Amino acid sequence: MRKISWVIICVGFFLGLLAFGGTALAADPIKVGIVDSYSGPPSTYTNDVKDGFKLAIDKINAGGGVLGRQITFVTRDDKFKVDLGLSAAKELVMREKVDLLMGTINSAVALAISDFAKKEKVPFLATYSKTANLTGSKGHKYVFSMNENTEMAGKAAAVGLAKLPYVNYWIAGDDYEYGHAIADGVWNNLKKLKPDVKLLGQSWWKVGEPDFTPYITSILSAKPDAVIIATGGAGCVPFLKAAKATGFNEKSPFFMHTSTELSTLRPLGVDAPEGVIGTSNYYFYFPETPENKAFVEEFQKAYGRYPSFGSLIGWFTGQFIAKAYEKAGKVDPEKFAEALSGMTIDSPIGKLTIRAEDNQVMLPMFMGKTKKKDGFDFLIATDIVTIPAADLMPLVEDIKKAREKEK
Amino acid sequence: MEIAANITLSALAQQFLVGLSRTTILFIVSSGLSLVLGVLRIPNVAHGSLYMLGAFLCYSISLFFGGGSTGFWMALVLAPLCVALISLAVERGLFCHLYDREHLMLLLFTFSFMLLFKDLVKLVWGSDYRSLSAPEILQGSFSVLGMPFPRYNLFLLVLGPLVALGLWFLTNKTKIGKIARAAAVDREMVAAVGINVSWVFAAVFVIGCFLAGLGGALVAPTQNITQGMDHTLIMETFLIVIIGGLGNIWGALLGALIFGLTDSMGVLIWPQFAIVFPYVAVVIVLMFRPKGLLKATW
Repeated sequence: MRKISWVIICVGFFLGLLAFGGTALAADPIKVGIVDSYSGPPSTYTNDVKDGFKLAIDKINAGGGVLGRQITFVTRDDKFKVDLGLSAAKELVMREKVDLLMGTINSAVALAISDFAKKEKVPFLATYSKTANLTGSKGHKYVFSMNENTEMAGKAAAVGLAKLPYVNYWIAGDDYEYGHAIADGVWNNLKKLKPDVKLLGQSWWKVGEPDFTPYITSILSAKPDAVIIATGGAGCVPFLKAAKATGFNEKSPFFMHTSTELSTLRPLGVDAPEGVIGTSNYYFYFPETPENKAFVEEFQKAYGRYPSFGSLIGWFTGQFIAKAYEKAGKVDPEKFAEALSGMTIDSPIGKLTIRAEDNQVMLPMFMGKTKKKDGFDFLIATDIVTIPAADLMPLVEDIKKAREKEK
Repeated sequence: MEIAANITLSALAQQFLVGLSRTTILFIVSSGLSLVLGVLRIPNVAHGSLYMLGAFLCYSISLFFGGGSTGFWMALVLAPLCVALISLAVERGLFCHLYDREHLMLLLFTFSFMLLFKDLVKLVWGSDYRSLSAPEILQGSFSVLGMPFPRYNLFLLVLGPLVALGLWFLTNKTKIGKIARAAAVDREMVAAVGINVSWVFAAVFVIGCFLAGLGGALVAPTQNITQGMDHTLIMETFLIVIIGGLGNIWGALLGALIFGLTDSMGVLIWPQFAIVFPYVAVVIVLMFRPKGLLKATW
């Protein structure tokens, strides 16, 4: 009896050796390490990024992969914390030997990983953080931003708002980096485009403020022409609820950057307030091009839901990676970074380019107003105006100056 | 732009009303916390999680009954009851064996429940934002002195005093309330006269948790129902209970009034720095009354 089990162990060991040897013979896959916040509220966005990315690379792999190699990925949860995110990035590079890093929704984590990527010379494709510093003052050769940033969002909103007849504004938002950055971005650019605008006052609430009613009533008593709301993530839904309950949208027009995004409007159902002005980088129903329709159909087939902007980010990040390796001709971090910088691809929202000067992807912005529509059980954006990427990118001189200052 | 120039009488009155309706939620949740703290001596950190559970259950039960008005009213009744049932199971299964332990142990124990409930919510409901509509009759707003006042907030304003009245009746006019008050002062003496303290404790614990669930169900139509909605609230309720006097329900009412009103008035008076107002109020209260405004039962 004992002999037999020894035999089994030996055979098993031998088979194991064979299996290992077998994989070593085939070309190693290209390994992408994703660090992102997969627990807690941010996972609404991060899972969309991951699913969009998987959709893209599955198709690429089915077609033979890149340079004859498959693309694989591993994920790590940073739990929205800098230390965890940074150690996960280190672990992925040192132990998992990933070829490049991807992630994360937390701006502070993204900046920390970017710093690490610079030292280790590992390409880092930041997917959902919105800090302008990433490709601005703290930019370098190996970091790429796959998302808009607060400066771009602010500039786009200013371009849109300058066309509207409002003069007296009120600003209100989350009292942390994102809120202030968005508000400053909108306001500074709006003042440049339309010098006669006036700021009546500001309100700032803590992140995670549960009830916005007192803020809205106090803003209404100041009677501004329009209000700029600088809240993001978890604040959007309750703010819109309070806006609906108080009739804020009917009494005073207001702008809120992500208010027309799918991840904000879907949970509210048909109860969202109408007429809210918002900007978004992507609507699954706009532009109505065959490319966008094909992408929406493909995503829906794979996951049974509409793609959000996060899904699109994941998808085009996958496309960029594949194309950059193809252009580089081999899996080499430096060659990859050089190939990716300045690269253009086709996407559901038209051609997308990574600007060579700062490695920032050039995304157009869409400004629309919320409205009920037949056939949807949530509100969608209508009267959509496209603000081309060229109008909202940060100026190259400003970036150069900021980087010089950083040194 | 420093202090807002928009402070008119109607704005003040309006802001006062909005603040009062927010007080209602704070009072309902913190009175439950205070009750448990006073009678059972358990600093229940998981109280906020039960509030979150109440909101999620309200959402799901409402959908189960087809949403709309019927769904909401059913959920408003059933969700707190479900939370109460869960807390009964927890109390009978676990807490009742631990009353003799020191406070730190109990604190750690409730802390572990906070983590458990958090993951439970994530497992069952996922991490998407959820939202629930108020019943039609409570949607929209009407005008008070020319300013909009949401109907739902009026509903809260009516409900708050009713809950306070119910609690007063429970603690002062019923047998269980009287026993609970006695047990809060001297648990051994109550047991010595032949009263089964264990079941009194269970009842009080369940009532306290019911209030957390009720608070959660009540905020469901006004907020994002999501993980983490308990974080701010548990901190605020603890502050309220501390400035009111540990374990004193009327202290919780007073604390909630101070907290809710300074919050909403601060927003009107100095919107840029509104965040600090309630906390400044807490500091001032504790400077003059370190043990809270009303008599603590500890």
